[in-house]
Amino acid sequence: MNSGFHNYPRTAIAILFAVSGLVTQGRVSGADPVANYDADVLPVLKKHCFSCHNEKKPRGGVVLDKYKNLTEIKKDIKLWERVADNLRTGDMPPAGKPKPTPKQLDVVNRWLDSQVFEFTCTGDKDPGKVTLRRLNRLEYNNTIRDLLGVENNPSEEFPADDVGYGFDHIGDVLTMPPILMEKYLDAAEDVLEAFFKNRALVNKHLKLANPSIATKQDITRIFSELGNRAYRRPITKDEVAKLEKLSDSLINKGEKPIDGLKAAMLAMLVSPHFLFHVELDPDPNSTSSHDVNQFELASRLSYFLWSSMPDEPLFQLARENKLREKGVVEEQIARMLKDPKAKTFTRNFPEQWLQLRNLKTVQPDKTMFPTFNDQLRDDMAREAEMFFEHITKENKSILELLDSDYTFANSRLGRHYGLKMNGYQEEFKKVTFTDNRRGGVVTQAGVLTITSNPTRTSPVKRGKWVMENILGTPPPPPPPNVEELKEDGKALTGTLRERMEQHRSNPNCASCHQKMDAIGFGLENFDPVGVFREKEHGKTIDPSGELPGTGKFANPSELRKLLLSKSELFARCFTEKMLTYATGRGMERADNCVIDALVEDLKKDGYKMQDLIVAIVKSEPFQKRKAKRGPKT
Amino acid sequence: MSRQISRRTVLRGLGATLALPYLEAMNGWTAMGAPAEPNAARRLAYFYVPNGVHMQDWTPEATGAGYTMPFLLDTTLSKFKDDLLVLSGLTLDKARANGDGGGDHARSLSSFLTGRQARKTHGADLRAGVSADQIAAQKVGITTRFASLELGIDKGMNAGNCDSGYSCAYSNNLSWRSESTPMAKEIDPKLVFERLFASPGETSAARTRRESIRKSVLDSVNQDANSLRAKLGATDRRKLDEYMNAVREIEMRLNKVENKTVSAPKFTPAESIRPSGIPATFEEHVKLMYDMITLAFRADLTRVATFVIANEGSNRSYKNIGVSEGHHELSHHGNDKAKHEKIKKINQFHLQMFAYFLEKMKGIQEGSSNLLDQSMLVYGSGIGDGNRHNHDELPILVAGKGGGSIKTGRHLRYTKETPLMNLHLSLLERIGAPVPSLGDSTGPLKDLS
Repeated sequence: MNSGFHNYPRTAIAILFAVSGLVTQGRVSGADPVANYDADVLPVLKKHCFSCHNEKKPRGGVVLDKYKNLTEIKKDIKLWERVADNLRTGDMPPAGKPKPTPKQLDVVNRWLDSQVFEFTCTGDKDPGKVTLRRLNRLEYNNTIRDLLGVENNPSEEFPADDVGYGFDHIGDVLTMPPILMEKYLDAAEDVLEAFFKNRALVNKHLKLANPSIATKQDITRIFSELGNRAYRRPITKDEVAKLEKLSDSLINKGEKPIDGLKAAMLAMLVSPHFLFHVELDPDPNSTSSHDVNQFELASRLSYFLWSSMPDEPLFQLARENKLREKGVVEEQIARMLKDPKAKTFTRNFPEQWLQLRNLKTVQPDKTMFPTFNDQLRDDMAREAEMFFEHITKENKSILELLDSDYTFANSRLGRHYGLKMNGYQEEFKKVTFTDNRRGGVVTQAGVLTITSNPTRTSPVKRGKWVMENILGTPPPPPPPNVEELKEDGKALTGTLRERMEQHRSNPNCASCHQKMDAIGFGLENFDPVGVFREKEHGKTIDPSGELPGTGKFANPSELRKLLLSKSELFARCFTEKMLTYATGRGMERADNCVIDALVEDLKKDGYKMQDLIVAIVKSEPFQKRKAKRGPKT
Repeated sequence: MSRQISRRTVLRGLGATLALPYLEAMNGWTAMGAPAEPNAARRLAYFYVPNGVHMQDWTPEATGAGYTMPFLLDTTLSKFKDDLLVLSGLTLDKARANGDGGGDHARSLSSFLTGRQARKTHGADLRAGVSADQIAAQKVGITTRFASLELGIDKGMNAGNCDSGYSCAYSNNLSWRSESTPMAKEIDPKLVFERLFASPGETSAARTRRESIRKSVLDSVNQDANSLRAKLGATDRRKLDEYMNAVREIEMRLNKVENKTVSAPKFTPAESIRPSGIPATFEEHVKLMYDMITLAFRADLTRVATFVIANEGSNRSYKNIGVSEGHHELSHHGNDKAKHEKIKKINQFHLQMFAYFLEKMKGIQEGSSNLLDQSMLVYGSGIGDGNRHNHDELPILVAGKGGGSIKTGRHLRYTKETPLMNLHLSLLERIGAPVPSLGDSTGPLKDLS
């Protein structure tokens, strides 16, 4: 999300929560009182911004005191977006300078939204802009598997896909350096070699009993049949002609027909129509929104739930123009979730949302935590996956992700949790907690491990993790040179909790750390690999604390209950993550309208997981697109 | 389906049978292959270490030729004192917040070779700048089979938020082909080797045929891309342009080979040193990557390389040298003595491996000179002290005489706030890819020769 804009409505919620305990909508609606620049906003900017950002002394090249009125401000919208981002993340005013009060901040934020960015939730919702995105490694493997039946992990040698907004399939972040193109060629050659060696596959996917005696007619037929699937839409006559031309030119150079066919198939597999999720607009320069076409919609659905190309039933519905008929999407989602391919969703989504992929690289100290090994590492990931799969398939409430009395474990993980496991079992099964120590993802070993350092827990990391991934209220980054802020310049001393308390005595650190640390210390009963402990270094751990504005807790179980009382924040955070996953783009200002509406519906129906999936598929960002970023027209 | 034997599986098999202890095998290489030909080509490479270093034991007191190496340099690079320049006082201003708040790690790596302030974004409108190595690659890469090599050790963080509102692309990538296209790193030495020296068991006739088919295929998909491009809006076009640039680059490489405008590898390494994959330990992995750079330079397959020894902000623990804590965690040392010591150990370990590389480079004769003398190898970090996250007083070394264009053996101190980009500017000139400016450069760096 554009550097923190997303914080806004939730920050506003959090602030209101803290101040008055009110529950409110984050949405900016037409009914909000309109702030006036001269009367309401200018005094705040004067007091908090102009002393550094004026024409004489433009810190960071930013001048804010030169605008006479709203009209002038609107001409410089990019700069004011940066202003908005910096206010919302709390980066500005910088550490050591007086901060505006939450109320003042709220006024400025509302003014920016309603007056400067002219953002409201009335009228049609904005679908946002997905940047043309290539298949990522997982999608590439799955698509090759479903297109040709070849399962040799062809993307194994591709460079890692960079992550943005927490996910690795974001169009803006997926780039295509030359080396990747080279790998695409290598991989496609290997895939085709494997494919043609397997007669059964050739027969199944090309309807060709003996490829070595393929005729020209066969080849033309194959181009259109395979092209329809490879490009995930009807291939055009021109495109078929181009493939024929390629194949013919090689045959004329002395290659066999089968090699001409292979070359043309190679061209399909490295074509932008295969490698990218191509979606077209009637007018590529317009900011107005339109429905994606049936084939594009079929692909969006299948890449959301399967990370792969549509299957025949989806193609069929697209061809018949039925994907928007009443009840069809619900039926298809139910069918797709029952398909084994849905495991991609129930693994890939939670492991990125919960950041469990980092389990592969954490290095808990082997001497201090001898039970931690690569098997347990995998078990931890598996637990979260099965837990999520269960909630999805059984259409349970997403709130069970926050608190539940069961999980999934094999003997190894069960013992790690101190559960009584009879005999040895590698298989995972559902197990019930009776002692109320654990429940939900926050107390799962995987999450507790990735938020620890190699030799100790990190209450700050854990607290930050919860704020980011559960509450959706990420704390702003620490001010630079933070250690220098301590008055006496000496190193901090004492136990971890004591040292953190000294750190918090600094007012610059206090506001964020109060909450982060409270959550983190509430989880101190879990060691760096997630084992329950009463004591550390011989001292009894004190897991009690207080969430500012929410309440006190005595132990991890009470902390969980407090988190559960924030169910609306969690639902919002979770919805936002899933919408990001479903669309392959970061959430922006306008998406808050959609997210608010989704959360409202979700709440009415008991927070059911499949209801959320259906609602996301039916929402504007999933059903529609526009060619250009920018306010709707 | 039953698993087919592909080019890659064949390689994997070979790799397994040839998995000799790699160090031993690699040590033997100078004896192998044809004797090196005289070659005046200069090489340029950049090596990045994250989280700053313990500067108190890095910065020499005296300047000029007679300086004394402080602990970190003395215990690792003393042998190469005459092959080195220690540069103090260089600054990476674009790694500073400059109004963008937290995110020093992301900004440090992405500005190290670009001198540009990374746009603060989780993804939308990713933007840094074209990096120095890529400027060199575009110019001198015409004469070699590969324009440049981009190597690394870490895959890149797989999930979550890398650094305070910055996309992970910034803290994972040192080399940037364009403002918005980072050059992904290759982390598997086996794949680097394959790319450089081709697959085993493929005859040159088979390779020629494969490459000729590839050319026809690329030509065809380029037409696809062209007609698609006309239908796209500006943002999508940028993405497709990356694709088209990549296609063009490969076509150019195939043409270079076909038209023989690049020379064949100057030597072919013995099959026995073909790496079998990513080694088990960090040390072996780093050394093997250094070996790949030495090989590529020696064979003159490329003259430009970058190597990210660990991603910026890396929290790797170095148990093998007695450091169990994470590197990033330690770098926020709060002036704790024990933590200082551990950071020193990590810095020292990184430098020892760099010394291993210099040793290799120096051991390879090229004409009357050696490979190290022909090279300009920049080693350093975009952060000074990891605790303060300062971006002035950076730890920067230049190894190699740049084909006689650099007077090594000295410690040079520059005035406060001298842009690091000035160094890059000077080295680009020396490699034959001069540019009037780079990022926030103010002019070439004085006193290098």
